Amino acid sequence: MNALVGVSIRGLHKRYGDTVALAGLDLEARPGEILGVAGPNGAGKSTMVKILAGEVGWDEGEILVDGRPWSSDVGSNRVAVVHQEPQLFPNLTVGENIVAGLANGWSWPRPGDEHHTLFEELDVYRFRQRLLGELGLAVQQRTEITRALVRDARVMLFDEPNSALTPDESSEFFRLARQLAAAGRVVMLISHRLTELAANSDRVAIILDGRCVRVLEGEAKTPESIAEALVRGIGGAPAGEAGSPRSVGAGGDTALELVRATDHARLFRNLDFAVAKGTVTALIGVEGSGGREIVQACAGLRRFSGQVRVDGRPRRQGQLQRSVSFVAADRAESLFSNLTVGENLVIRLDDEISHGVLGLRRRRMRALGEDLRSRFDVKAPGLNVGVRALSGGNQQKVAIAAAVGSKPHVLALEEPTRGVDISSKAEIYEILRAFAADGGTVLLFCTEIPEVYEVADRLHVVSDGRLSEPLAVPSFADMEALAKAVASLEAHARRPTVAA
Amino acid sequence: MAQVSEDIAAPAGRAGWRQLRWARTTLARLGGVTLAVLIVGAYFSVRTHGQILIGSNLLGILRGLSSIAIMGFGLTVVIIAGEIDLSFAMVYGLSTNIVAILWVTHGFPVWVAILIAFGAAILVGAFNAFFTAVVKIPSFIATLGSSTLVFGLTLYIGQTQNISYQFPPIGDAVHKSDASFFHDLGSASLPGGFPEEGIWALGLLVFFSFLLTRTLFGFRLKAIGGSRAAARVVRLPVTRYIFLAFVIGACMACLAGILDFSFVGSASPDDGQADLFPVFAAVIIGGASLSGGKGTALGTVGGALLLAVLANGFALIAAGPFASQLLLGTVTVGAVVIDRFTSRGATA
Repeated sequence: MNALVGVSIRGLHKRYGDTVALAGLDLEARPGEILGVAGPNGAGKSTMVKILAGEVGWDEGEILVDGRPWSSDVGSNRVAVVHQEPQLFPNLTVGENIVAGLANGWSWPRPGDEHHTLFEELDVYRFRQRLLGELGLAVQQRTEITRALVRDARVMLFDEPNSALTPDESSEFFRLARQLAAAGRVVMLISHRLTELAANSDRVAIILDGRCVRVLEGEAKTPESIAEALVRGIGGAPAGEAGSPRSVGAGGDTALELVRATDHARLFRNLDFAVAKGTVTALIGVEGSGGREIVQACAGLRRFSGQVRVDGRPRRQGQLQRSVSFVAADRAESLFSNLTVGENLVIRLDDEISHGVLGLRRRRMRALGEDLRSRFDVKAPGLNVGVRALSGGNQQKVAIAAAVGSKPHVLALEEPTRGVDISSKAEIYEILRAFAADGGTVLLFCTEIPEVYEVADRLHVVSDGRLSEPLAVPSFADMEALAKAVASLEAHARRPTVAA
Repeated sequence: MAQVSEDIAAPAGRAGWRQLRWARTTLARLGGVTLAVLIVGAYFSVRTHGQILIGSNLLGILRGLSSIAIMGFGLTVVIIAGEIDLSFAMVYGLSTNIVAILWVTHGFPVWVAILIAFGAAILVGAFNAFFTAVVKIPSFIATLGSSTLVFGLTLYIGQTQNISYQFPPIGDAVHKSDASFFHDLGSASLPGGFPEEGIWALGLLVFFSFLLTRTLFGFRLKAIGGSRAAARVVRLPVTRYIFLAFVIGACMACLAGILDFSFVGSASPDDGQADLFPVFAAVIIGGASLSGGKGTALGTVGGALLLAVLANGFALIAAGPFASQLLLGTVTVGAVVIDRFTSRGATA
C-alpha cells in the first residue's frame, strides 16, 4: 500500500502538565478501510480525537494526510470528527446546519456529481427544513456526516458513534460507514463496544498508555482477543489476593433488591436484581447499555415501576435515598465547587452537625471533617481550602468520603475512578473494599475491566438493559481471563437482540 | 480531559500564592467595598467642605441605606439560593398600600393590617417559589410576572390614591394610639436623633449573618445555590429551601415597606418601584454572585452604604440627577467585573 495515501500519525506526544496523554502514538489509516480504535478510558483516545478535531495542539511528532503535513490551520476541513453527541446547532434547520459557515455560492450536488450518491444514501434532504433539535439522534448524526462531506473531508473520525442509537439505526450507520470507506475515504471508528469493533472494522488498533501497542486484523480480530489485548500489560495480583481478603458473599442476605423493575425511559425492563450484603457488586457495560441507569435507579435517583426491597423489606422508591448514598461520575454532581473541602465532607449529614435547623455545630463539623479527611487520606492543605483546588483524585476521595461518612446501607457509585491518577485509584479501591468488609454494601457501574478486577466480588455484564448471570471475580486467574469472559458474555447478549 | 486540567491546577495551590489569593479575594469582597466607601467619602468630604460628615447628615445616610439594606438581606438569601427575585420592590408597595387601605381607610386595627400585609407577602413569595421550584420556570420570568401581577393588585386596592396616616382623608378616623404605635415602629425619636430604621437594619444584619453562617439552613442554602444537581444527589431539601428563600425575600420587602411608611407618613401605589435597581446593586456590590452559592449580609450592607454615600454626596454638591445615575451604573458593572476577576482567581 502506498504510504503517501491516508493518514499517518507518527510519534505523537502530548502532555498536560505532569500528565502524559500521548507518548509516541503511531497509527496508519488507509483509504478504503475502516480502522477501529480501542483503548480504556485515559489511554489517550480522546486526546487523539481532540488533536485531529483541531481542538488542541500537540507537543511532538507529525500527522500526515495523504503525505502532506497536516495541522488544524491548513486542513481543518480535511479531517472531520463526528462526536457521540452531534456538535451542531439544534436551533437551526438541517439545511442551515449543513451550509452554516460555507462560502457563498455553494449549491447542492447534482445527480452525476461525485457526492450525489452518498447524499441520497444519507437521507437528510427531506429533513432540510426541519429544526435539527426536533429530530432524532440518527438524523442529527447523518447531518453531521453530510456537513463533513460537503466540506470534502478526506478523513472521517467517529467517536462512539452508536452509543445512543437503536440496533436498527446502528446497523444502518455501519452500512454507511462502509460506504464512506468504499468511496475512498479514511474512516476511523473509536468505540468501547468490542463486538461491533470486531465486526465492522478491517483492523483494530489497541491504544494503551498513549501508544498504539498492537493492531489486530484478520483471524486475530475477535471481541475476546481485543478485550485481552486491552488489559495485557496491566499488572495486578490475582484478584483473590489483592488488598483486603474478599468474602464472596454467602449469597443469603440481600441488601437491596429490585423486582420486575421497568425504567420509565425503558432502558431496562422487567429487571430482577439483587445486591448481596457485604459485597462489592459491579455492573459493567458500555454507554447506553442501561448499567448506569440501573445503578441510578437503585440509588433512588431514577424513577421506575416495580418493587424495591431493602434488607428484605419492601420500601417505596422515595425511601431508597435514605439507605443508599450515591456518588455520580460527574464531579459537578457529587461536589459543591463553592464550598470548602471541610464543608463538602459533611454536607450529607444533618443531626450530627446541627441542633435542629438553627444552631450549626461548627466545631463538630470541623472534627468530623478532620476525621474523614485523615481516614480517607485526602491530600488537602486544610479543610478551609476550596474543593476545586484539589487534584481530581483527591476531589473524588472527598466525594466518596462524604458518601461513606453519611453511613449508608448501600454505597452506589458510577465509574468511581474516572479521570483519577493511579495512586488515588488504588486508595479508592481500598476504601470501597474496607466499606464492604465492615458489612456495608457497594454497587458500582464500571466501563473498565481493570477496575472491576481490582475491586469487585461479583460482576454482572449489562447489555440492552439485561444482566448476565453473576461472575465471581476472585475466581478468575488473571485480568485477561476476566476480560475474555466479559467480552464473550457481551457478544452473546447482543447478538439475539440485533436479530430480533 | 477536564480531569487532567484539574490535576494541572492542583500544584498551583502553593501556600504563598494561596495566601495572596485569599487576601485579594477578601479585599475585593469586604475590603473592596470599604475602600470604595472611604475613597468616595473622602472625595465628597473635600468637595462639600466637610458637610457630608456633619452628624445629622450621616444619620440621614444611615436611614437612607436602612430600607435598601433590609430588602437587600432578603434578596441576598434568594440570590445565594441561586434564584432571582424581581418582585420584591412591588411587594414593598403592596404592603404599604394594604396597611394604608385597611387601617387608614377601613379602620382595621393597625396590627391586623400589618399581619395581613405579611400574609400577602408570604403568598407572593410562595407564588414565586411554586413557579420556580415546582413548575420549573426560570425565576427571572416567574418573578417578572409576579412583579407585574402584584403591581396590578396594588393599583386595584390602593385605588391610585396617596394616603397619609398622619393626615387621614376627611371622614376616615385613625385611632391616636394606633397612629403613635405605627409611628414608633419605624420613626420613634431616639437619643441623638438616631434613626430607628437603622436599629432595625443593624438587628437584621446580626440576624442574617447568623442565619447564613451559623445555621444548617445557611450552610445548605449555600450548597443548594452552588450546585442544584449535587444538592439533589446529596438529598438536600431543595424545594423547601427555595420556598423559604422566596418567602424570606418577600417578607423583608414587606417589612421595609411598613417601616418606610411609618417614617414617610404616606403610601402611594408606586411605592418601592425606584428601589428595585439600588437593592440589586447593593447585593451585587456586596459580593453575592448571581450564579448562586455566594453572598453575605455584611457585604450587602457595605453595598447599600456605598450607594447611600454616593447619592448623598451628589445631592450635596447638586451635581444633577444624571451624575448619580451614571456613577450608580459604573459602580454596579465595576463590582461585577471585580467579582468575575476574583472568582476566577479563586477557582482557576
